[in-house]
Amino acid sequence: MNEPPKEPIKYVDSKVYLPYHYVAGDYKARYLRALKDKRILGSKCSQTGKVFVPPLMNSPESFAPCTELVEVPDRGVVTTFCIVNIPVIGRNIELPYVAASVALDGVAISIFALIQECKPEEVRMGMRVEAVWKPDGERHGDHDDIQYFRPTGEPDAPRESYINRL
Amino acid sequence: MNLRNVAVVGFAQLPVVARDEHRISTEMLYPVVRQALADCGVQRDDIDYQIAGSVDYMDGRPFGFVAALDVMGSWPPRQDLHLEMDGSFCAYYAWLRMQAGDCNTALVVGHGKTSEGEPDRVMNLQLDPYYQAAIGLDPTSTAALQASAYMARTGASDADLAAVAARNRAAGARNPENQLRDATSAAELQKTPWKVEPLRAGYLPPVGETATCLILAAEGKAEKLCDRPAWIQGVDHRTEMQTIGARDLSRSASTKLAAEKALAMADVASAREVDLVELFASSPAEELIVCDALGLDAKASQPVINPSGGALCANPIMSTGLIRLGEVFRQLSGRAGARAVPNARRAIAHATQGHCLQHNLLWVLGSERRWS
Repeated sequence: MNEPPKEPIKYVDSKVYLPYHYVAGDYKARYLRALKDKRILGSKCSQTGKVFVPPLMNSPESFAPCTELVEVPDRGVVTTFCIVNIPVIGRNIELPYVAASVALDGVAISIFALIQECKPEEVRMGMRVEAVWKPDGERHGDHDDIQYFRPTGEPDAPRESYINRL
Repeated sequence: MNLRNVAVVGFAQLPVVARDEHRISTEMLYPVVRQALADCGVQRDDIDYQIAGSVDYMDGRPFGFVAALDVMGSWPPRQDLHLEMDGSFCAYYAWLRMQAGDCNTALVVGHGKTSEGEPDRVMNLQLDPYYQAAIGLDPTSTAALQASAYMARTGASDADLAAVAARNRAAGARNPENQLRDATSAAELQKTPWKVEPLRAGYLPPVGETATCLILAAEGKAEKLCDRPAWIQGVDHRTEMQTIGARDLSRSASTKLAAEKALAMADVASAREVDLVELFASSPAEELIVCDALGLDAKASQPVINPSGGALCANPIMSTGLIRLGEVFRQLSGRAGARAVPNARRAIAHATQGHCLQHNLLWVLGSERRWS
């Protein structure tokens, strides 16, 4: 009993299998469905009028319900961004690339997006960008329906227009 | 020793359903928080503290619980805590904070979408990974082990379990927020197939989900928020060993000790003196074991056991225990509708977590303040 075994079992392998079947929720379901038609939906706070994309049931800030869904433009402004130089799991993009926060026009919060069709060093805060959608027939109602954003060539947005939407 | 008088002043829940196809967990929670606040006639800014109970494994996301912050009114920045436990345990923590004196009002919630994952797989992972989880034990099989142990010690029969289940189902038919709302006879329940012997399908609750919100307030605030506050007179929480094999499964030592402590705090001699008890027992055997630990006869008419229908009629993860506390509030504050126990003045609410009644929390509430 005091002698250690000659071939001790030192490890226990354990495989965990946990499947999930998520409900999108009615707000997100409408949002995802609209992407198939190249439309972006947001929800509007009944108290402050702020618009959230993707749509939320309530404003996290004011606690008031968002009772109205509104369509927002598929263009906006780069607020903050970073240049990615390392590969990321699940993403097969040529390095380096730009991941940015994009505040869509009229929307209170920004969404995360790739910025392509320009050099990483050209990306800047205030740069105007527009969505590049997957072609008709290839959009399935998920976030990849917008492939990336690209510069519009318009003059940069003034700092005060986006500084509170970082 | 004089403690601070704290009361339950509001409670709201969604009707328990098998699966809400239209809302994610936080979207179920939002209207419930609004409703509980509206019932108390207060704004979110009037509440000092917030605490949520949910389980990330059920959510399938690490730190999934933080999503609830967006629907609880967390701006400007709040004092907040999360427990990976039923909302009743969150209420206990909030009560402790009030005893410490750093808050006067608290928002307590429980939420979780049981239908989005597989609860048996998730609960299997609560067990030790070497011997117990590896052989596939789930909550039904551990509950069946406990039922067998209880039946062997006491001689309780299948018919005894059926009678307990039938009493809960009959009571539960009067509760519009239950998932099961049809009274069924003991004889019918005894014809249902074994889920895991000695537990039949008819003795166990279906998978269900809801969201719940309870509001606590200390003396001075409570009277302003509610016409008939349900005052907390005693509370205690005890936990047993994790190793199931090391425990006497036929008894609940932690329920017995927690009840003794909570009743002593409330200055109540025996659990038999209260008007009703709401037990979190998700099988008839668990109910008999908890009654045994409380010194109650499950067949006696006083106190009334589970006038709501108990956990057998609705067992939504993270909320079943908080519903017991909410039901006691409803009974003591004249809000229990068709299931009201006449002249209810004092009641016990129980909550449990873990396999085979591992943790037990006992509340004693009354329509009078405990301390002057």
